[in-house]
Amino acid sequence: MIEIGIEIEYLPYIITVLLIASIYAIFSLGLNLEWGFTGLVNFGHVAFLAIGAYTTVLLNLSGVPLILSVIAGVALAGLCGGLLGIPTLKLREDYLAIVTIGFAEIIRFFLLNEEWLTRGPMGVHVSSRPFEELIPGDYNFFLFPFVLGVLVICYLLLEKLVKSPWGRVLKSIREDEDVPASLGKNVFSYKIQALVLGSMIAGFAGSLLAFYLQYINPRNFMPIETFYAWIAVVLGGSGNNRGTILGAFILWAFFSGTRFAQGYLPFSPTQMGALRILFIGLLLILIMMFKPEGLLGKKEELTLTK
Amino acid sequence: MNFANFAHGDFLALGAYLTFVFSAILGVHFIPASAIAVVITAFIAVCCDYAIWKPMREKSAGSLTLIIISIGLALFLRNLIIFLWGPDIKRYDLPVKRGIELGSVVITQNQIFVIMVAVICMFLVHYLLKRTTIGKAMRALSDNIDLAKASGIDVDRVIRYTWAIGMALAAVGGILYGLITNINPNMGWFMLLPMFAAVILGGIGSPYGAMVGGVVIGLAQELSTAILPTEYKQAVAFFILIVVLFIRPRGILGS
Repeated sequence: MIEIGIEIEYLPYIITVLLIASIYAIFSLGLNLEWGFTGLVNFGHVAFLAIGAYTTVLLNLSGVPLILSVIAGVALAGLCGGLLGIPTLKLREDYLAIVTIGFAEIIRFFLLNEEWLTRGPMGVHVSSRPFEELIPGDYNFFLFPFVLGVLVICYLLLEKLVKSPWGRVLKSIREDEDVPASLGKNVFSYKIQALVLGSMIAGFAGSLLAFYLQYINPRNFMPIETFYAWIAVVLGGSGNNRGTILGAFILWAFFSGTRFAQGYLPFSPTQMGALRILFIGLLLILIMMFKPEGLLGKKEELTLTK
Repeated sequence: MNFANFAHGDFLALGAYLTFVFSAILGVHFIPASAIAVVITAFIAVCCDYAIWKPMREKSAGSLTLIIISIGLALFLRNLIIFLWGPDIKRYDLPVKRGIELGSVVITQNQIFVIMVAVICMFLVHYLLKRTTIGKAMRALSDNIDLAKASGIDVDRVIRYTWAIGMALAAVGGILYGLITNINPNMGWFMLLPMFAAVILGGIGSPYGAMVGGVVIGLAQELSTAILPTEYKQAVAFFILIVVLFIRPRGILGS
């Protein structure tokens, strides 16, 4: 009987961890399309998460129906992704990394400073969530299967896309963009499409994150969020959607594990936070050096030497 | 090496923190403390070359892989700083000296010192690249690495020197920045975008372009505070960067 009691006590916690992991898995799938399949280095992925979340919440607050608010958030994230691609994707491949990392910081400063729109550091409360009035009890018990369903749909659609001729062009761009170019493919246009779609997925993850958090503020969208997605993609295997989902779940298992470990280590919460990110940085270096194909990626398919 | 090193800003912060440790905690005089910090930063950069960049060169890894490794290194260094010395703002704890009045403008002695050191560094870089063997080898390498190899240049040695000098300069930049404002773990992060904007504006691979670019971006950021909130300094650098990418992606002095 005691064991069952503990299980019931832990269940909401486990559901919450799985829920967050699923949202980050969706977020990371967007990055995997950009980096894993197309070879685009986006260091500002969190910007699109923020755009999706804030657009959804702010539009819904001002009376726009929830579903339209979500669509607007997704569309705006995609639009911003495309706009960032235009000046960068025809140039050196590292320009996109520089421009996106800067864009994400500017979005965060915008959210912090334009209080008339975003209430700045105060943040905004989510006014309504999908089917909220129909759900009795703990809303997360509904939200988790809902998000999991979205994750599965995203996964299936992406798998279909990357196995289509369109997806094969993306992979050939990743390996050597001169080859598809010589076959008459408009490489720039394909890259923009991948970036727009990846950003839209991140925007949608942002809406879901807002539904989970119920209250969003600029601190939810720190630069490190981008690198959570990076570690999920790279750990699981760049260019492997299942690997990305696995990576996201491993990451959140690690986070909740370290939360329990905190009681046994002589470090302050700040130090633990720093250690966690320090470890993520180290892991990123080690994977890229010694196992660039990640856990599930195919070594023979992924060269990444260009 | 020819890739965007996202850890550059964090080496800058490391230089400033090492100076802080030697001067404010261990009580070494500021100038020798800075010198020790610069040497240690350069030493760490050379260690990174042995541990990371050299093996990656031998695998002929692409620049995208190197960029991702460099951001991993950036996260590692920044959080090592937070872990060791905390997330709060620090100062060198130097005695406050009287400023010098020039008409209505007051210039502190620190600011004069910073400008002097910056000018000296620029001349040293110029001398190094134009007059010394290692500087000439660096230029040869950036022109054509295969040709440089064929003419007997020890590529690994030149790249080690490049890392050491580049990161020593970053450390000097961090120390000076800390002298006129303060030091914090995110100082490198906030200077990353302006630094990239400066390098791209000047033209990648052109040291003189970087100097001009740095002055232009710095001035634009400071002047913008007259009409924009100071929080948007980054946005100014970003805006200039986007305009440069559209109009002249090679930069002002780029070839």
